[in-house]
Amino acid sequence: MSAIIILLISAILVNNFVLVQFLGLCPFMGSSNKVETAIGMSAATTFVLTLASMVSYLIYQYLLIPLDITWLRTIAFIVVIAALVNFTEILMLKTSPLLHKVLGIFLPLITTNCAVLGVALLNINAGNSFVESAFYGFGAALGFSLVLILFAALREKLSLADVPAPFQGASIAMITAALMSLAFMGFTGLV
Amino acid sequence: MNAIIEPLFASVIVAPLIALVLIAVFFGALLGFAAQKFKVSTNPLIDQINALLPQTQCAQCGYPGCKPYAEAINSGVAINLCPPGGENTIIQLANLLDMEPLPLNLENDKEEVLKVAIIREEECIGCTFCIQACPVDAIVGAAQQMHSVIAAECTGCELCEAPCPVDCIDFITLDSMPIKPLPEKSLSEQACIRCGLCVDVCPVDLLPQQLYWFAQGKAYDKAKEHRLMDCIECGLCHAVCPSHIPLVQYYQSAKLAIRHQDEKHQQAQLIKQRFDTREQRLAKEKALAEQRRQARAELAQTKARQSDLIQAALERAKSKQASTPSSAQGTLTQDSHHGR
Repeated sequence: MSAIIILLISAILVNNFVLVQFLGLCPFMGSSNKVETAIGMSAATTFVLTLASMVSYLIYQYLLIPLDITWLRTIAFIVVIAALVNFTEILMLKTSPLLHKVLGIFLPLITTNCAVLGVALLNINAGNSFVESAFYGFGAALGFSLVLILFAALREKLSLADVPAPFQGASIAMITAALMSLAFMGFTGLV
Repeated sequence: MNAIIEPLFASVIVAPLIALVLIAVFFGALLGFAAQKFKVSTNPLIDQINALLPQTQCAQCGYPGCKPYAEAINSGVAINLCPPGGENTIIQLANLLDMEPLPLNLENDKEEVLKVAIIREEECIGCTFCIQACPVDAIVGAAQQMHSVIAAECTGCELCEAPCPVDCIDFITLDSMPIKPLPEKSLSEQACIRCGLCVDVCPVDLLPQQLYWFAQGKAYDKAKEHRLMDCIECGLCHAVCPSHIPLVQYYQSAKLAIRHQDEKHQQAQLIKQRFDTREQRLAKEKALAEQRRQARAELAQTKARQSDLIQAALERAKSKQASTPSSAQGTLTQDSHHGR
């Protein structure tokens, strides 16, 4: 149990996928203009990440290893992730068409969110068990959500602030992200 | 040779094929199931967009009304084609859809002024063309009678101008509610240093410094959420501000803008109601006309049938008269008539 809590804390704070490992930056910059959108994006990514890390573990262990084709893992995982993203998209169109419209291209782009593929591959490299893989994926998703929502809240404030002209728009967002990243470096050594 | 190639073939070609086909079949089935199970029939987003449009039904955007334009926006058309809505509608749409607000399209730019139509009544010839063109039934009158505009219901959409054969419709601009601009930055005004003194003095426990940012950034929804409308404009925040920011002037400007926005929204709903009633009425009239047409057609048919019968009877009688002597002949002719 304590091992799993440590795994979660390490995935959320210490090795945060966005701010420490710099994975999954495009939705981080792209869908963080409004807190509600960011929450929707976080929910979708959490769903995909957790399921993808579980399913890719199963496929790796029970399909790729027995057939001795572990070199095919990247392609196999991408297929898994793409299918899950499609599934999420269908679900979202049904449950929240507004969010579907607002997320736009960033929803299908979860497929190429490097954090998702990264978690699946890191799980294999670290030799995690099924339960560990699931929690590692979930922890990574929680870390992504935390950072994305915090960043969206900051950007909502930034949109009203008087930013000097050369820094307006994406540049101030980049600077903010860098400062957040610096702050997250402070968690190093927590676990 | 074969001994080397065959296992290689198995591991490089066959195994991956099996694996990928298995994965593909499984996920294909899952997605197919999901697509069936979670089918979407209607899109509520169109109604949400439609609710933000001003409902003048003026077609200046190039679509026949507000609902069609809402559908077009949903499928990706620009949000800046609505002149009656103006900047405010564009900002609200951009907020809803999380897009960058664009400036109003200059091609359909007629700026945002309130207008109403007025008929020069002595020149009106009573042709009823304008009545048919009005999307909200705001023109009253009858054929050969003078028409006149109900000013309170007119949306100023100018749709009645083109059909009028004698050009007797004018548009006059109304004095809309004054919009107070944000205060000019004076020399004594410095940037907000977030000291929080204004928060301490506010007698109605608002967050003047937050409200200032919202007013400046025109984030009216958020300002409302932070209870800007409760501000009593006492001026204490301005008095204590070390940066001499004229806070109350910002609030006044934002409050007026919010009131303006709300009023426009209410008006849009009223207009929408009138438009919907008119559509219903037109549909009903069309259905009635169709019914009458059918009734007439049926009547004509039965009449024709009756006249056919009468004709036949007359002919029968005539032929009977012509061949009175032999009864056998008479029955023959009768039979032949029956055959016809």
